[in-house]
Amino acid sequence: MFDNFDLMVAALGAGMWTTVWVTLTSYTIALAIGMVLVVMHVSPAFPARWAANAYTQLFRNVPLLAVLFIMYFGLPKIGIVADNWVWALLGLGMYTGAFVGETLRSGINSIPLGQAEAARSIGLTFGQSLGSVIMPQAVRAVIPPLGSLLIALVKNSALVLAIGVTELTAQSRRLIEDNASRFDLWGVIIGVTVSYLLIALVLSYLVRLVEKRTAFVR
Amino acid sequence: MSRQNESTVLFDALGPKGRQRSTVASIVSAVVILGILAYAASVLAGEGFFEQSRWVNPLDALVVETTWVPAILDTLLAFALGSVLALVLGVLVGFGRISRFGLTRWASTGYVQFFRALPLILLIWISFTIDGHFGFTTDTLGWSNEARRLTFLVLGLGIYNGAILAEILRAGVAALPPGQAMAGYAVGLRHGQVQRLIVLPQVLRNMLPAVLAQLVILLKDTSLGYVITYPELLHSANIVGRDYSNSFLQALIIAAFIYFALAYALSKLVVLAERRLRKKTAAPKAAAQLESEVAGGQAGVVI
Repeated sequence: MFDNFDLMVAALGAGMWTTVWVTLTSYTIALAIGMVLVVMHVSPAFPARWAANAYTQLFRNVPLLAVLFIMYFGLPKIGIVADNWVWALLGLGMYTGAFVGETLRSGINSIPLGQAEAARSIGLTFGQSLGSVIMPQAVRAVIPPLGSLLIALVKNSALVLAIGVTELTAQSRRLIEDNASRFDLWGVIIGVTVSYLLIALVLSYLVRLVEKRTAFVR
Repeated sequence: MSRQNESTVLFDALGPKGRQRSTVASIVSAVVILGILAYAASVLAGEGFFEQSRWVNPLDALVVETTWVPAILDTLLAFALGSVLALVLGVLVGFGRISRFGLTRWASTGYVQFFRALPLILLIWISFTIDGHFGFTTDTLGWSNEARRLTFLVLGLGIYNGAILAEILRAGVAALPPGQAMAGYAVGLRHGQVQRLIVLPQVLRNMLPAVLAQLVILLKDTSLGYVITYPELLHSANIVGRDYSNSFLQALIIAAFIYFALAYALSKLVVLAERRLRKKTAAPKAAAQLESEVAGGQAGVVI
């Protein structure tokens, strides 16, 4: 079943590495975008709220694959050119950022009203009460759903194969389609499944670790 | 902190000076946002993005009739069939996970863990690839090419989202007050009857927002039919873009806009469902708990 096992492991390992760094880098971008979005969402300036809402609605309702296509195949037609991995990271980051923003917002919603009132009553400004009272609690409250977004991003990162980034799914596809004689179909399917399970397991372990480390006693 | 006042609770009712500052902040942020948009527009205009012919050509009556309309119908067909399969599998597997029979529980858990871990694009592509590799091939069924592709897309969408809906429904069962099932047993219903007549209807209604939100994701995921060249929207947009190479970007944006309109309409249903749920429910406590979890129909949804 596992013909040329060492070659398969090497190919899938390379794919895993790409999947992991694409996931982690674009997740960092998504966290930054989500943080900006949520601050805009609760800010006193209504144009900022509108802009954040427009961004969120846009990326929540358009398929990720369409976003990637517009960036990688569409933008060069009007002279905006960049490498495929740049668009892969930006596309995944901007798409996931909208969901991170919504998750953080539900975190703010879960903080008791008294916290914000207490912050205001000791004279903190908007920025201070958000930065040192509300957000630290809100982020802690939504670490599990943020972790689910990270795991979802691992799977969504497979879509970047459509713009030519050879991550895990693309590697397994190459093993089967280009080298069909050398690798057994089931072997590759099992290999790629185990690889994805491994990534998800390790990442969800890390998320639980972060959750435990940042937990505090109320 | 409730939804209505989340945007006002972080700052006090403003005095004259504060109002002035807030007005200034609003104007400044408006100027910044409009400035970014205007700059982007000027760059796009410089590249001829807004040229009329580039938008009119891919929306020619003939193209609309022969490509866009069939593409929308094919997308909706895959969405409808995929949703039905996902819902059926979701109910079966979701209740399988809390079954009294160890084997059913074990198999359902295995199903959920396995299919939730793999990217949908991999599932669709693998099922399409193994067709013909193991003695059995759908060619012998005499299906058209499109029917074959539709089958594999629907199978992928249904199997994957079935695993996620199963988890959403299981969470709904856990959130239901246990007294509901107990009352069912008390009036002499059997286990199956309790699940079918008491638990399932309430869970379906309570979790409707989350289920619909996941169906929005399923609608967007029909775009993955592209990898097996099922003629859905994104695939058709690429074909239109190739025919009118000046309008490639425009064709993709038109497709994105159609997706947006479809998904937005569906997500409006989520909001409606949430509102209905708030108004009438037999189990107000569970609904209140769910409401905080759902937070915009996000509970358990996997993007």
